[in-house]
Amino acid sequence: MVEVRKTIAITWLNYDVIVVGSGGAGAHAAHAAASLGSQVLVVSKDPIGASDTKISEGIATVRASGAVDDSETELSTNLQMAGGDLPLRSITNAFAADSEHAYDLYRVNGLRPSIDTERNKPLSLPLPLGGHTKRRSVGHENCGVAFSHANWQIILQGQNITYIEDAWFLDLAVRKSPNKNEHGHSINEVVGGLIYHAANGELLAVRASAIVLAAGGVSTLYFPKTDTMRGNTGDSYAIAARAGAELVDMEQLQFLPFCLASPPSYEGLLAGEPVTASFLGVLRDKSGKVILDGVYLRTRAECSAAIMRAVEKGDGTENNGAFLDMTANKKAPLSGAYFEKFLATCLPSAYQNVRQALSKKAGRCEEPWEVRPAAHYMMGGIRVDADGASVGGPNGDGVRTKGIKGLFAAGQSMGGLFGANRLGSTSLTEGAVFGARAGRAAAAYSRNSDTTQNVDLIFKPLIATHSQFFGQNGTLSATAIRLALQEESWNKIGPVRTARRLQEMETNLKKWRAKLYKIKTSSSTTWNQSFIDLQELRNMLDAAGLILASAYERTDSLGGHVRLDGKQISSFATPYSVIVRSISDGTYVARRVIRPRTALKKIISYKIQEQKRLLMARWIRLLPKGIQDKILLKRYQAIMGEDLKAQETFPGAPEAAIGELTKP
Amino acid sequence: MTNNKKSIRVEIDTYRDGEKTIIEYVFEKRELGERPMALDVLLQAQAKKIPDLAFRFGCRARNCGVCTIDINGRPRIACRTRVREGDRLSPIATLPILSDLVVRRDGIARQLRNRLPTNSQANELNVEAPEEYHQLTKCIECYACLDNCPMHARNFTRGKPTDTTKPPSDTQQGYRWGNPFTLLKLQRVRMDPLTTTTVRESAVDTAIMLGLESCIKCPGCKCGVGINLKGVVIKPLLEAANNSGRIPPE
Ligand SMILES: Cc1cc2nc3c(=O)[nH]c(=O)nc-3n(C[C@H](O)[C@H](O)[C@H](O)COP(=O)(O)OP(=O)(O)OC[C@H]3O[C@@H](n4cnc5c(N)ncnc54)[C@H](O)[C@@H]3O)c2cc1C
Ligand code: SF4
Ligand code: SF4
Ligand code: FES
Repeated sequence: MVEVRKTIAITWLNYDVIVVGSGGAGAHAAHAAASLGSQVLVVSKDPIGASDTKISEGIATVRASGAVDDSETELSTNLQMAGGDLPLRSITNAFAADSEHAYDLYRVNGLRPSIDTERNKPLSLPLPLGGHTKRRSVGHENCGVAFSHANWQIILQGQNITYIEDAWFLDLAVRKSPNKNEHGHSINEVVGGLIYHAANGELLAVRASAIVLAAGGVSTLYFPKTDTMRGNTGDSYAIAARAGAELVDMEQLQFLPFCLASPPSYEGLLAGEPVTASFLGVLRDKSGKVILDGVYLRTRAECSAAIMRAVEKGDGTENNGAFLDMTANKKAPLSGAYFEKFLATCLPSAYQNVRQALSKKAGRCEEPWEVRPAAHYMMGGIRVDADGASVGGPNGDGVRTKGIKGLFAAGQSMGGLFGANRLGSTSLTEGAVFGARAGRAAAAYSRNSDTTQNVDLIFKPLIATHSQFFGQNGTLSATAIRLALQEESWNKIGPVRTARRLQEMETNLKKWRAKLYKIKTSSSTTWNQSFIDLQELRNMLDAAGLILASAYERTDSLGGHVRLDGKQISSFATPYSVIVRSISDGTYVARRVIRPRTALKKIISYKIQEQKRLLMARWIRLLPKGIQDKILLKRYQAIMGEDLKAQETFPGAPEAAIGELTKP
Repeated sequence: MTNNKKSIRVEIDTYRDGEKTIIEYVFEKRELGERPMALDVLLQAQAKKIPDLAFRFGCRARNCGVCTIDINGRPRIACRTRVREGDRLSPIATLPILSDLVVRRDGIARQLRNRLPTNSQANELNVEAPEEYHQLTKCIECYACLDNCPMHARNFTRGKPTDTTKPPSDTQQGYRWGNPFTLLKLQRVRMDPLTTTTVRESAVDTAIMLGLESCIKCPGCKCGVGINLKGVVIKPLLEAANNSGRIPPE
């Protein structure tokens, strides 16, 4: 059969601001820009609202919700130290300042937390979540789904907001501005973007002077070893990089340590968090040897590292993980019942996964769980200022004149807020805070710019490139390459890295990139899956390239991953971030920028506290069983109430802490 | 016993440019006794046989609501429904097909566009919502409830979109007639303690406008995640409409 090559229709549109993504960051950006009078187009490749925001545990950081003395400085420093001093002060300060009220827009649109009637505030979980220094995490009935109802409301009922779903934002249209910056260099500025509207079967060429990328993360690069939405194919990062934007901290991915390794249908889904291990939980290798104790006091990163080191030594379990052994908690005659209740209520959806996936005995914690890390969140992202505007240049904070004018990012797309570690419950708030900031800044920028005049020529090459991908001749399939890329990404740029593996990844990436133009695609215009697969593969390849180039610059272990051939970076070392950009198709350059370090005094006092808590945990484990049980009973009762009632307020906390703080 | 077999045979309905092809696919179990979900079968079929098979999924954990397909003619959430020998997987029959197992969904949500005012005037946000309210925000928007809904059926000349029904060209408006999901959204606004009386009443008006009278004699809706739609959505809306005398009592 001779395939008749159809041409795809192109529709031209004008908007003031395009928002890419309909999760929390996208909805808040759209609302903020529209409220300032901008005409906003929201474009989403998944059905409206279907996003990580929707499938999250639904716990949000609301500053000062649980403690009167939860100042902006307190929270900003907390994020700063947790992130290994990689986060930008201006950005953590902005988060701290807005995180008390940004979340109110969710409430105006129907999110209804329980209320602490004494303090007249949303009721926070009874204890600080892992890594937080104060109680400030608010849980919600129906978890992220309840947030999604509010985002749906914001987008659907918003004045000045138009939305399209089943529509892939493909690339930014950027021109070199006739204006020069103060150094005499020409400025790159956004003039619009190209969209594939799969449901209508057309390309949309949209002229707009400001674009907010809120298109989520990149964990699908590690599928099926991830608990996130399928759509996390790194589109934000790839699109920004192709337009010449700088990105930051792209080697810093967060892996959740305790995800399921089997059966296949559940692979990658969340089983527990460090705190769920409770007082007596330990990690063991395949032969039963303890590889990490005091699990409930450890960070996600420490637990992941312990598991992956065991696997690398050949001591991993059948499915390349480790055993999370909580049987001692369960066996204790007095406190065992409290543990059981704690486990079932503090993380209901994860516990549900475990009970469906593993044996009955494992479900009752009479048998260890086989667990393995999975990709969860990209802590790096597009390099922006505190208003989400793209920045660039040699100095630490970067400047707008060296970024892409008119480009903004919010939510998981942006970098600079979390650095080497993200605390639980901060990302939903990140979407609200920086979505609103980026939306306002985008509206203000677009009002004062006239970059949509005479720009059609700039779209020409973009339209040509993407039209080529319809009905492309070839013999390969994007799916096959994607599957190979996903497996290799886990092995080479995942939780465990070495210089050698990075080099092997580089060779592979080159090979796959060369194949992009040999992939066969259909020429259908309506919902062309092979075209979509090719686009997403292209984005994943770019994102992998950015991660790889940054990983080369991180020669020792820090944050989310382990360098087997390096050492652990100490908190006292000079912190640095890695900045990366693409200089041509498939070529990325990375460099370091030094970050200011938290005062030594603070770090030392923190370290001492940490050691004390770990010693305490060990000491309890070594006590005679009877005494141990009595002490634990008291502790559980202090947290949960003697009648086990207090935990009714734990609606699905991933890290609802039981007692002590886990360390940042 | 099927369980000892090494494989499971299913049929997948695929649609390309209006043409339907039924593809047989034999799922190879990855572990002894594996009981795969429908989504596992689709993922493997894509990896091994039909690389450009079109289907939706997101979370694999019954949260995102996008993976709904028909299994043997009934809507099921693909990531949490196990398949058996001989099962037939097809796109949900209640919405127009875009490609393979993918249907066009946006005509549903759009029918409420600008019809559900937000409480932007709310100045006291610290109010507790009643338990029933949280029943309503359980909805994951899977659209399983469109099946057998006579109100939704009124949107199509023969009660259902045919295989070749083209999606409406101006989709900014959404469907004329309602469905359990949109009624749930209206009832959510009514149950929200911050909603003003005027908005509460206008939500009932909208329900009537979308065809609420279809519910009077209807045996009732089934929700994909187990929300008691009849009890928490339909009954209260009908009651409100009756009380205002705008709809005859049941
Ligand atoms: C299982 C799980 C539990 C979690 N629990 C919590 C929690 O309890 N608390 C917390 O704070 N955080 C939690 N997180 C993290 C948090 O949910 C996410 O980091 C956050 O929601 C990201 O929001 P976002 O708006 O940046 O992106 P998302 O919500 O992921 O939205 C991305 C949007 O972009 C769209 N998109 C992507 N690419 C394109 C493109 N090319 N064109 C058009 N549209 C595109 C997608 O369709 C989607 O609409 C959890 C995450 C997971 C996976
Ligand atoms: S009760 Fe109403 S909404 Fe439910 S299925 Fe029947 S007609 Fe549809
Ligand atoms: S009401 Fe139930 S069946 Fe209908 S869309 Fe919502 S979750 Fe799905
Ligand atoms: S994939 Fe999300 S509900 Fe099935």
